[in-house]
Amino acid sequence: MIGRARSQAADASKFVVDWMEHRTGVVTHMEHFLYEPVPKRGAWVYTLGSACLFLIALQFLTGILLLFYYVPTTDHAWDSVYYIMNDAYFGVLIRGIHYWSANFLMAVIGMHMAQVFFSGGYKAPRELNWVVGVVLLLLVIGLAFTGYLLRWDQDGFWASVVGMKIGSYSPFIGGATIHFLLGGDTVGPATLSRFFAIHVWLLPAAIAPLIGLHLYLLRRHGVFGSESEYTERLAKLHETQRLEEYSRLEMGDDPYDDDDDRYGDNGSRNGRE
Amino acid sequence: MVYNAATGKAKPVEEEIITEENVYDRPDETVGFFPTQVLYDGYVSAFLLIACSVLSYYSPAPLSEPANTATVDYVPRPEWFFFFYEQMLMFFPGYALISFGAVAIPTVFIVLLFALPWLDRGPSYSPMKRPFASVIGVLVIVTVLLNMLLAVSRIINFPGQ
Repeated sequence: MIGRARSQAADASKFVVDWMEHRTGVVTHMEHFLYEPVPKRGAWVYTLGSACLFLIALQFLTGILLLFYYVPTTDHAWDSVYYIMNDAYFGVLIRGIHYWSANFLMAVIGMHMAQVFFSGGYKAPRELNWVVGVVLLLLVIGLAFTGYLLRWDQDGFWASVVGMKIGSYSPFIGGATIHFLLGGDTVGPATLSRFFAIHVWLLPAAIAPLIGLHLYLLRRHGVFGSESEYTERLAKLHETQRLEEYSRLEMGDDPYDDDDDRYGDNGSRNGRE
Repeated sequence: MVYNAATGKAKPVEEEIITEENVYDRPDETVGFFPTQVLYDGYVSAFLLIACSVLSYYSPAPLSEPANTATVDYVPRPEWFFFFYEQMLMFFPGYALISFGAVAIPTVFIVLLFALPWLDRGPSYSPMKRPFASVIGVLVIVTVLLNMLLAVSRIINFPGQ
């Protein structure tokens, strides 16, 4: 009886899988995606990139959950955050994860960049992936800066005021940029609305496709861990080059050897006859 | 690795002649992304999620008093990842220098970051074989860490300023 149920279940799942595969090719794509060969030796080090991805995913998830309670107005912003921290179900956990994963994200991005830098992972043909990574870094910094104001407490408020004062010293564009961010001349309701729009819509909407591009380029050129992944192949290459060098010397291509006919200094072959 | 679509398995690769061009085509040893690498990624992600969850109860996300625009003497602190930037500004005081320290230097640094793949086009990857890039990288990291340390010691020394 159980055996029959099991075989029926197996048939049903096979039917569903085949149906999906026939219409979307999802099984082949998953196979291609999952069974990609990746370098073995530094596998732990290469988790830095996926850790960034995971932390950003946490940011999106907890950010969406925070939006259920957060109110982006100067009258209610602080109160709504206070409510999240004291009354909302799992509010402390959700805001805590949003806060702590943002902090971890900055640290992990730094380590990820350092790893790619010191292993030379940005070299051809992976230049554009480095460029996309730098754009992602700037977007994350923008998200960190705009998020600080949203709680509308003394710390976030005055730190943002100072930050924008610093930004206003930019030559040429400083004044206009800060005027745009503030939505006026001073920090007020318009500023909060703009920071909110930038923090929850503009920058996440920009960051998501760029992460996709980052991953696409990663897969296109393969993971480059470090030169140590290629030690044996490099050793083989150097061995081949050495043997080639020897055989060239034996063949008489040595530029320092002008005794081409191998008859020494006793005249040429023609001279001996 | 050569992928055989018919069997879904990797074909044994025959003795391949390694040249300058193909030496970096594939690493010495590979593992499948699934399950090995996915498992490692999962361990790290699980650790991070647990760390975030535990920290959110032991050290909840901060929330100070409601913003008051009338306050005049509040000393705001940036978040720790902006410490080095804030500290750097201490070296460029006054109206004349601040735009240099706050905008010009970071802009140059970001432009250099973007241009890095075209500035370092040598054939070697190992940090030992490209000492110039490595030394610059170490210097940048040391500068950032030292500035952070300076900022932290300043904040501990002068809590009210």
